[in-house]
Amino acid sequence: MKKHLWLVLLFIASLVLAACSGESASAPKNSDGSSNISDKTFTYASTSDAVGLSPIGMNDAVSANITEHVYEQLFTLNPDTSEFEPLLAESYENPDENTWVIKLKEGIKFHDGTPFNAEAVKYTFDKLRDPATAAPRASLLEPVDVINVLDENTVEIKTKYPYGPFIAALSHTNAAIVSPTADKAQDLMKDPVGTGPYKFVSWTQGDKIELEANEEYWNGVPELKNLVFKVVPEISTAISMLQTGEVQFLDNLPTEQIKRLESMDNINIEKKDGTAIYYLTFNHSRERNQDPEFRKAVASAVDRDAFVSKLNGLGVRSDSVIGPQVFGHDESADKAGTPYDVEAAKALVEKNGYGDEPIKLLTANRDNFILMAEIVQAQLTEAGFKVEIESMEWATFLDTARAGEYDITFMSWSNVTADGSEMLYPNFHSDNVGSSNRAQYSNPVFDELVVKSRTTIDQEERKAILKEANHMMIEENVVVPMYHGIVTTALDKNYTGVQINPTGKWYLKNVTGK
Amino acid sequence: MTNAVLTDVKIVKKKKEKVYINTIKRVLKNKLAVVGIIIILLQVIMAVFAPVIATHNPSTQNLVASELPVFSEGHWLGTDNYGRDVWSRIVHGARISLIVGFTAVTLGLIGGITLGLLGGYYKKLDGIIMRIVDLLFSFPGILLAMLIIAILGTSLVNVAIAISIWSIPSCARIVRGSVLSIKEKEYIMALKSLGASDLRIMIRHILPNAMAPIIVFATMRMGTAILSTASLSYLGLGAQPPTPEWGAMISQGQDYMWTSPHLTIVPGIAIMLVVFAFNVVGDGLRDALDPNMDIQ
Repeated sequence: MKKHLWLVLLFIASLVLAACSGESASAPKNSDGSSNISDKTFTYASTSDAVGLSPIGMNDAVSANITEHVYEQLFTLNPDTSEFEPLLAESYENPDENTWVIKLKEGIKFHDGTPFNAEAVKYTFDKLRDPATAAPRASLLEPVDVINVLDENTVEIKTKYPYGPFIAALSHTNAAIVSPTADKAQDLMKDPVGTGPYKFVSWTQGDKIELEANEEYWNGVPELKNLVFKVVPEISTAISMLQTGEVQFLDNLPTEQIKRLESMDNINIEKKDGTAIYYLTFNHSRERNQDPEFRKAVASAVDRDAFVSKLNGLGVRSDSVIGPQVFGHDESADKAGTPYDVEAAKALVEKNGYGDEPIKLLTANRDNFILMAEIVQAQLTEAGFKVEIESMEWATFLDTARAGEYDITFMSWSNVTADGSEMLYPNFHSDNVGSSNRAQYSNPVFDELVVKSRTTIDQEERKAILKEANHMMIEENVVVPMYHGIVTTALDKNYTGVQINPTGKWYLKNVTGK
Repeated sequence: MTNAVLTDVKIVKKKKEKVYINTIKRVLKNKLAVVGIIIILLQVIMAVFAPVIATHNPSTQNLVASELPVFSEGHWLGTDNYGRDVWSRIVHGARISLIVGFTAVTLGLIGGITLGLLGGYYKKLDGIIMRIVDLLFSFPGILLAMLIIAILGTSLVNVAIAISIWSIPSCARIVRGSVLSIKEKEYIMALKSLGASDLRIMIRHILPNAMAPIIVFATMRMGTAILSTASLSYLGLGAQPPTPEWGAMISQGQDYMWTSPHLTIVPGIAIMLVVFAFNVVGDGLRDALDPNMDIQ
């Protein structure tokens, strides 16, 4: 018995000692400095596997990272100017509000040798919007009426009504052009064929996807020859792999790991203001939430500055619902929100008895949602509200929020097209209650503004409409914007040239070894 | 005549007292068990006097003083990522894990003893009850608990219910085994021939004689129940934030393992010590209650 006791004590002591040793991370290993670093495999780690590799069939960020390198769209968002530029297209014109005539670049071939032409564009878009395909992002082309091939390199798209963000929609990842020959012959979800700088090599499910450089790429052959997209479920493991040189590139760095990453000296961290927004929303179908004074009380009780200071620099503070990097943003909205004033909140709570009935705060148990939920819960409690947190995993959370089974919750929107209409329509237009409008918000005046912002072609006019809609949401405290996202990446110091978009997408085509 | 009966009763009472004292003496001879008892007592004291012992309110945040290391001024176990005092959360967590563990074990015992007594005593019921028990056994414990929580929803009450259901089959088997052997004893036969009711025989005569393995089981089970509560909360199925539950604390702390390791290590050690304590006390009790063993 005595012997056992000592063993146990020894065990505890060793645990405590292990704890005290703290940061004893191994020294960063540099690559051996061989002459041609570009020939080496360049590995990106993600916490989950891709779902599918066809722009028509997939709708998730992990798959999009890969399809962005294999396929290309007609237009693309220039990350530096935030303007849309032609990619596979050469130019476009609008003979009238409902007609888009797009000239295509000539001489481009798909990886399987099929020529890229107007037929391929028509084939892809028709397939994407065909109800029989049931494509998850068919809505991108919902305004399209008919697509005509005018000649080999000219395509004419007619819309049912004037559609303002059409070029933004055509630059969406899911509007990339696929090879018609390949699509008829094989399943592009597993075996993708596009015009992009990288060709598909292999996919080991749950492990990795390999790509190789397209030696016949029309816009300059990429310097990196082999790309690997590896699945590493645990982000802290992925960071350790970055430290030891097994992985060269990571994105979406979690706020709680930033200090650790910044202490590593073999990587460069890049941060860029992004289009994503994280906000507190009310369930507008609940009677209590329809009381503007209640929403005001909640908004004044939430100290957003204190929260953003907890993000280790990975969040931008602004009251605007349309973020600073999104089309339709106006500086006047940045400070237009209900200011933090806990005394005012307390007074409102006391006057109206808001503290009597508990508030159900629904939250997803990932990323910064839990952080927001716990901090906001404490802040609301201080103002006199009674708040109960219910956390659940992401998929269940989305369903629960869609069904409107909550009082308040936190939502996020990454906004791939960086257009304000694409934020307001899916999330707050009454058409989408029961699907993507999880706030259950329904306001005819607001609806009209959003529709107008979509059907107006003149971009300056659209900006003014979006500004009005934005201010309307802020004044009525429809949501309480918590922060706007910052896109983060960590890249091995031996490489340079990753192109990062405010939408969170990135592009490895121009990466070179040092 | 009456005098003789009285002295008999006294002798029985004295004998009973002697059995208890002997058991306690034997347990106290086991040094490891003594360590366990001390840890359990400390936890009970922490749980009962939590508001007095805790230096801060366990859910009061201080975002400016977050992630303070251990032995910081005013926070000897540091603070978590929300600036909440870790020591105060551990103290209040002791209360939660004891209450949930105790509730779960009590409910499990009630279910298990009832099924075990009925199954062991009535041959006709034995088949059905034991097949139900077998069915419950065929699920891995934590999966069964997760299934029950998926049906009932996430909360600490449901965790207690889930763990108690998971304790029922093993308890029922242990009780049934003892009942089967006890019911063949002569004094039970004698009671039956005197016309005692089944219920009386089961509750007054069989159950007290089957108590030794039940006590050992209950003690060991406390450790398992506390560990399971922590596991389920770690998985996000138990305590909801900001409840200072130990498992939930570990789960929150693991994101900060590189910068503030104490957020996982402190609650980890708390869980480890308590589970260890219940296990060694259970071991000690088993040795002490075993009539065939004679510990020096």
